[in-house]
Parts: sequence; C-alpha cells; structure tokens
Amino acid sequence: MKLLAKYWWIILLLFIALYPPTLGGMSPYRAGVLIFVGIYVILAVSLDLLMGYTGQISVGHAAFFAIGAYVSGILTVKCGVSPLLAMLAGMGLSAAVAWAMGRPVLALKEYYLAMATLALNEIIVTLIIGLQWLTGGASGLRDVPSFSIIGFSFDNQIHYYYLVWAIVALVVASSIVVARSSFGRTLIAIHSDETAAKTFGIDCAAYKVRVYVLSAIFASIAGSLFAHHMGFLAPDDFSVFTSINILVMLYLGGIGTIYGPALGAVFLKLLPEVTLQFQDYEMLMNGVILIIILVFVPKGLFGIVTGIKNRFVTRGAG
Amino acid sequence: MGDFSHLVQFLFSGLTSGSVYALMAVSLVIVYKVSLLICFAQGEFFVVGALTMVTLVSKGLPMPVAFALSVLVAMVLGALVERVLIRPIQHTGVGNLIVMTIAISLALRGSALLIWGKESHILAPFSAGKPIAVLGATLQPQVLWIMGITILVLLVIWLFFEKTTLGVAMRACAENQLGASLMGISTQKAAILSWAWGAGIGALAGMTVAPLLFMQYGSGVMPMVKGFVAMSIGGLASIAGAVIAGFLLGIVEAYTIGLISSQFSDTIVFAILIIVLFIRPSGLFATTGRREV
Repeated sequence: MKLLAKYWWIILLLFIALYPPTLGGMSPYRAGVLIFVGIYVILAVSLDLLMGYTGQISVGHAAFFAIGAYVSGILTVKCGVSPLLAMLAGMGLSAAVAWAMGRPVLALKEYYLAMATLALNEIIVTLIIGLQWLTGGASGLRDVPSFSIIGFSFDNQIHYYYLVWAIVALVVASSIVVARSSFGRTLIAIHSDETAAKTFGIDCAAYKVRVYVLSAIFASIAGSLFAHHMGFLAPDDFSVFTSINILVMLYLGGIGTIYGPALGAVFLKLLPEVTLQFQDYEMLMNGVILIIILVFVPKGLFGIVTGIKNRFVTRGAG
Repeated sequence: MGDFSHLVQFLFSGLTSGSVYALMAVSLVIVYKVSLLICFAQGEFFVVGALTMVTLVSKGLPMPVAFALSVLVAMVLGALVERVLIRPIQHTGVGNLIVMTIAISLALRGSALLIWGKESHILAPFSAGKPIAVLGATLQPQVLWIMGITILVLLVIWLFFEKTTLGVAMRACAENQLGASLMGISTQKAAILSWAWGAGIGALAGMTVAPLLFMQYGSGVMPMVKGFVAMSIGGLASIAGAVIAGFLLGIVEAYTIGLISSQFSDTIVFAILIIVLFIRPSGLFATTGRREV
C-alpha cells in the first residue's frame, strides 16, 4: 500500500500510454474525447497555480486559451507558419499580455479582481468577433492544419493523443515542481496573508505577475493544442462560460492541489460522455456540482481520494 | 436635420438601456450595502423575472397581475438563495462566496434553459400604441414605461431606505453589523430582505425591457456585467451614484454604437470597466471600509 501511495503516478502514466492500444482500441472518437480531456487538464492545472496556490481569483482564464488558439490558427492558416513556431508565438503573446496586465489587474482583490479578469476575457472575445478580417469573426476560422513537428504530422488522432498527454504530463509535473519550490511556498504565503508576506520582504506584486505569466503560458499551450485538434475556431469556445467551466473543474477536483483540478477536469469532461450528452442539463449540473462541493465537500474529489489513501497508508504502517 | 434626429434617436436608446443598467446596478448595490457581497447571479433574476412574466401572460393572466406575480417570484427566489445557499458558507471567505454566486447563476441559468428552452421569447408591450415621433426620432411607448417604472422604483427605494424603520435598520446593518445587532436588529433578516429587494429589482429590469428584447435563458449576463460597471463607477455602495453611472453608461454606449462602432462597443465598455478598476481600486476599497486584517 505504501508503495502504491508513492508510485501511483508511474501506474497512471503507464495507463495513459497503454490505454489506446489495449482498452481504447483504435477508435479515433475516443482518442478525440481524451484529447479534449487532456487540454482541459492543462487549463485546470494552470488556473490552479494562480487561484489555488496564490489565491488570485480569475473568471477569465479562457482569455489566454483564446490567445493561444487564435495565434496558432491565424499564423498557420494565413501565414503558413509551422505549428510549433505558431505555438511558441502564442505563448509569447499570452505571456506579454499577462505581464502587461498582471500588475494592475492583480493589485485588485476579490470582486474587482473577478470582474477585471472577466472583462479581460470579454475584451479578447469581442475583439475576436470584431476583427473579422483576421479571425474570421463569429463565423469562425476554418482549416487549421494538424499539428506537425519538422515534417512529422500528427494527423492521426492516436498520435495526437500521445502528444497532448505527453504535454499534459510535462505541465502537471512542472506545476508540481513549481508548487513545491520556494517560489510555490512564497505563493502560498501570499495566499494566506499578503500583509504578512509583505512584512517578510516578499515583493507580492512581482510574484503574482510571475505566476500569472506562467499560468497564461500553460493556458496558451492548451489553446494551440485545441486549435490543431479542432481544425476550426469559433469565439464561443473561449467565452466567460469556458472560464467558469474551468473554475468548476478546480473546485470539483479540490482547489490548490494540482492533482485535484486535473482530476476535476477529467471527471467533468468525461461526465457528458457517460450521461449520453444531455447537453441541456449540463449547465444546471455544473451549477449543482459546484454548490454541493462548496457546501459539503470543500476539499473536492482529491480530498476524498487522499482521505481514503491516508486511512489505508496509516493502517498499513500501523 | 437628419443628423440631429439621429442624435436624438441615440439618446432615446441610451436612456432605455441606461434605465436597465441603472436598475441592475441598484439591485447589486442593495445586496452589497447590507451583506457586503456582489451577486454574480443578478442577471439570472433579470431573466427569470422576464420569462416568468412571458409565461404568465401567455397563460392568460392580465398584465398587471402577471407583473406583480413575477416580481414576487423573483423576490422569493432571491430570499431562498440567501437563506439556503449563501448563509451556510457565509464565513468561509469572500473567494468561496464569489464562486458560490457563480454556481447559483449556473444553476439558475441551467434551470431556465430546461424550463424555457433555448429559443427567444418576446413579451407584448405593456400598452398598445404607435411609436411617437419626437424631434424627428421615434420613441416606442414601451420606453416611456421603462423610464416611468425606473423612476418609480428609485422613488420607492429612496422612501424605503430613508423613511421607514425597516429601511433605516437595514442601512444600520450596512454601516456596522455588530452595532446593528446590538441595537436588536436581526442582521440575518436584513440580509434576506436585501436579497429579496435585489432580486425583485433585477427582475423588474428584465420585465420592463423584455418587450424590446428577444429574451432567452442566457440574456442575463450582459445586464449583470454592465450593472457592475455602473456600480463600480458609481462608488459601489451608493444608490444615487449607481443610478447616474447606469444612465451615463447607457448613453455613452448608445453613442458609441451609433457614431463610432457597433462591433467594438462592448470592447469599449469592458475597457472602461478595467480602466475604472485600475484608476480607483483604493477609492473603491475605501467605500467598503470593512476589510479586517
């Protein structure tokens, strides 16, 4: 049991690697669903760094998701840039926007912060709709090519599945490293008491901007992956509702734990597959899930998992 | 003369949306004043009020009855939300409360989707009548209703908070919760009451403007956000400030759409919000004056 508690992530990685050839068969549909799940895991984990660790509420995370997706889409469709370079450009632009907006936005607190991030999201979306000549406007941007790296094209869903989940693993691993580093502990200090952190000589504003930039870059990567997966981009996919969806994943999984939000993303994205896509019920369900989590299970799914784990581990040790 | 009549027309549409924004801002301010909480579900009361009225009218109820019943439904809903969902997590921090009101808005919007479907509903104007020509521009009779009801509501709110014991008690809670409770005022009752007021006014905004809009389950987001913009410009806890800012916002928006760009009017409104938040964050905080460290 102790070993399981320590090396569960190896089993998980093996499962992700072996899933398509064994259980998943070669069904492109399933691979497609799991690619979506992976993209949302990246989004949820990146928001967790900002919200869970640093305590900075954001109702506009989809803004950076949008920047990544549209920079990738526009550069590959209109300028013939290679997807990898386009992705890097998206990361650069997201980082620049986050860096420029970070200091004034994150100086705000609570409701003002929530509203400012929401406004940022809406500005990006209305710009996408308005700049029709560039983005295709409300009718969307078509024919985004498959992802490719130096000539090797990931047009096969299974191949793309591996690429996406490899990036997911990288993002999750680096988020864990960041969270456990002194940088991460500083973020937690800012979360628990900004005034106290300041008296210890921590430049809170600078740290908040840095984590904002990092989480924007991750979200931008998710956006690029999304663009090449869909092949078609429409502004609806990046609205405030998407941002709120990510927020639900965070709370469902267990905010401030990295693994939790990842779990929340998997759960929330797979749920419609199980419930036979009752699309009309999805919004009500998300709301109810969020209410239940807030009132009864504030630590989320991951809290339940660790609770069970701790019981077994202590029993094994005792 | 053609240009002038256009300007008048823009003014009318600005005053119309301004009324809605003012009402939304006031509904947010009332909840905020008493319970120091900004409800992200305010737009849903806007929708629920309007769509309830659509349903009641289609069932054959006379307009005034349907009107009163819809406000009542929204008020009860608002009170229930406060009692059942907000109060249990009241002391777990502002972050959780923000997320809770987002959850409530998802749940209400999701319910509205199930009840009224995805399609748009249109409400008949409150009174039949031809558009009125004023200075070369046309004025829908419904616009007069909207403005009349807005003025009436603002008057009632003013009378309530200034002249009735209950209103003064609620204002006392806003000033100092502990002090108010020592004076024998139930702060919990005041909170419920403020939610009922807020939801009712939000619903009123939706119902009066419904004949001019295609109302559907998701129509509440923009009015809520613009209400918040007006609220922040107006100084957060000030009803008068919210009203003035609401009308200003409506007029600025109408002239932006008419004279500059209809594509980017929302971009401009959100940019204004961000700029206001950037310029006056400390000023805005000063008005809350209750951040315990």
